[in-house]
Amino acid sequence: MRFVDEFRDPAAARALLATIRRLADESGEHHKFMEVCGGHTHTIYRHGIEHLLPESVELVHGPGCPVCVIPMGRVDDAVWLAEQPDVVFTCFGDMMRVPGSRGSLLDAKARGADVRFVYSPLDALKIAVDNPAKQVVFFAIGFETTAPSTAVTLVRARELGVENFSVFCNHVTIVPPIKAILDSPDLRLSGFLGPGHVSTVVGTRPYQFVPKVYGKPLVVAGFEPLDILASVAMLLTQLREGRCEVENQYSRVVAEEGNPAALSLMGQVFALRPHFEWRGLGFISQSALRLHDDFAAFDAEARFDMPGVRVADPKACQCGEVLKGVLKPWECKVFGTACTPETPIGTCMVSPEGACAAYYNFGRMHRDAAQLVGQPAR
Amino acid sequence: MTEAPTDVGLSQELAADLAAASLALARRFAAGATMWCVAPQWEPHAQHVAVEFVHPVIVGKRALPAVALTGRDLVDAARLSVRSGDIVVAIADAADPEVTAITARAPAWGATTVWIGHGPRPPAGAADHVLWLEDADPATPATGKFVLLYHLLWELTHVCFEHPGLLTEDAAECTDEVCVTCSDEGRPAEVLSVTADGTAVVRTANGREEVATLLVGPVAPGELLLVHAGTAITKVDR
Repeated sequence: MRFVDEFRDPAAARALLATIRRLADESGEHHKFMEVCGGHTHTIYRHGIEHLLPESVELVHGPGCPVCVIPMGRVDDAVWLAEQPDVVFTCFGDMMRVPGSRGSLLDAKARGADVRFVYSPLDALKIAVDNPAKQVVFFAIGFETTAPSTAVTLVRARELGVENFSVFCNHVTIVPPIKAILDSPDLRLSGFLGPGHVSTVVGTRPYQFVPKVYGKPLVVAGFEPLDILASVAMLLTQLREGRCEVENQYSRVVAEEGNPAALSLMGQVFALRPHFEWRGLGFISQSALRLHDDFAAFDAEARFDMPGVRVADPKACQCGEVLKGVLKPWECKVFGTACTPETPIGTCMVSPEGACAAYYNFGRMHRDAAQLVGQPAR
Repeated sequence: MTEAPTDVGLSQELAADLAAASLALARRFAAGATMWCVAPQWEPHAQHVAVEFVHPVIVGKRALPAVALTGRDLVDAARLSVRSGDIVVAIADAADPEVTAITARAPAWGATTVWIGHGPRPPAGAADHVLWLEDADPATPATGKFVLLYHLLWELTHVCFEHPGLLTEDAAECTDEVCVTCSDEGRPAEVLSVTADGTAVVRTANGREEVATLLVGPVAPGELLLVHAGTAITKVDR
């Protein structure tokens, strides 16, 4: 299995690091860059990139993991759906362990609910076709990378006339949370590493507001360690040359215009929600997708009389601050003590791409910080 | 009088890259890999590497499965030969079109790649291990630096075999799982066959799977795609 590649071409990495060090030294300032995407966070921890960078270049971790940003109330709704009679509830594997106020989907499965995890929404549709007597619901999560896959599935479901299939739609969009973070007063960022595969769909134009309105550079980055290093060097070069623009480091995959076919299909299948709750970030307007009225027949929220209760995040959990990059994961009061990947309290500890789980699994923290973990909360 | 090129040592950086490549090869061989060698510009290099790994020159060293792929249609030959978990060693310039096509597809085939060459380097990420020489004429048979390099690669691979603890990846490193789903995952896939209704059978590091191709337009066998949650989201254009 090779989802994340080994550190390719160490000689090239050393050359990039030398460039980064030189640019950082010459600038003399402290730079904080946010990587928006959970896939980047994973690469950074796995390869220890943050410890290779000079001290004056800091990477902070953004809200780019769709599992981490799902609010508790939506998880409770999912558990409720899973426990309805004759429902087969399907979801991606990582959603299984995300805690709601009444436990996770895995707990619901243990109580007897028919919860199955699938790799693709098309697999969920197949389950529906094979089980006409059951109601099959797919728990759709993810940014613009995943939404097209749900859209393709819904179009196919309509073509096939599958009546026992519906989607509990929790797709979110990338631009509004970036805006929310830029508007947040407690964070001073020097620039962004823009998401990679999201950008294969949306292209690079939607990020123009970042330099134009907020005066911050953004570099769309690939997922290999070299991509991250090259992107950091590109950000530092922009700052050094007094430029501020959207650049595309991941051009071998990302086109400026994105994938027009996917965007057009999404436009047919989805509509923007007026607002949506993000864990830790609160309600953000026009930040999520619902099914378009033309596809209302497949909307689980219309088909089932869902409770739709809003649940406050656990008090001890500081996922919000972690998602905004205000706190490092180890600075959260419950990190590594009450909250671990086995018994997560907050979502950031659940997904392997969540900032907290990545810190926990790879032990990436400074020695002083390691000593703090395990001590009673102040 | 000419100076023997072997008098010149390898740079420290190349030595580090060589060690990393050897460890990767040893781990793959220990897990059952076959090594496929290609050198389109001068085939004897491919044959030489293969024979080196197969031939247990030192008593007690195991023969390692290695085959040279030669002749025409190297990409097709590699596609048929390489299984997930195998190794591809290429000896070629960065501009070589066949090696470029093979190394671009290797992630979809699940193969580890080592690219040996000189002159301008291949683009970042072109192969898992890039062993690049500054030498002006490294291809001299028998005495050139290429020959030195792949002898060292062979020998260091065997050195790794002397330390069985090195051969299984550290458990802590085995976190290849990323969110299959949610995340911004994209897996390379090569189209094997196309079906009429907007789906294609593709080859990935994990085997064959059927993916929806509605969003990338018409696809043809041999094309590389990026797959997310069962749907191709873009063509990969290297």
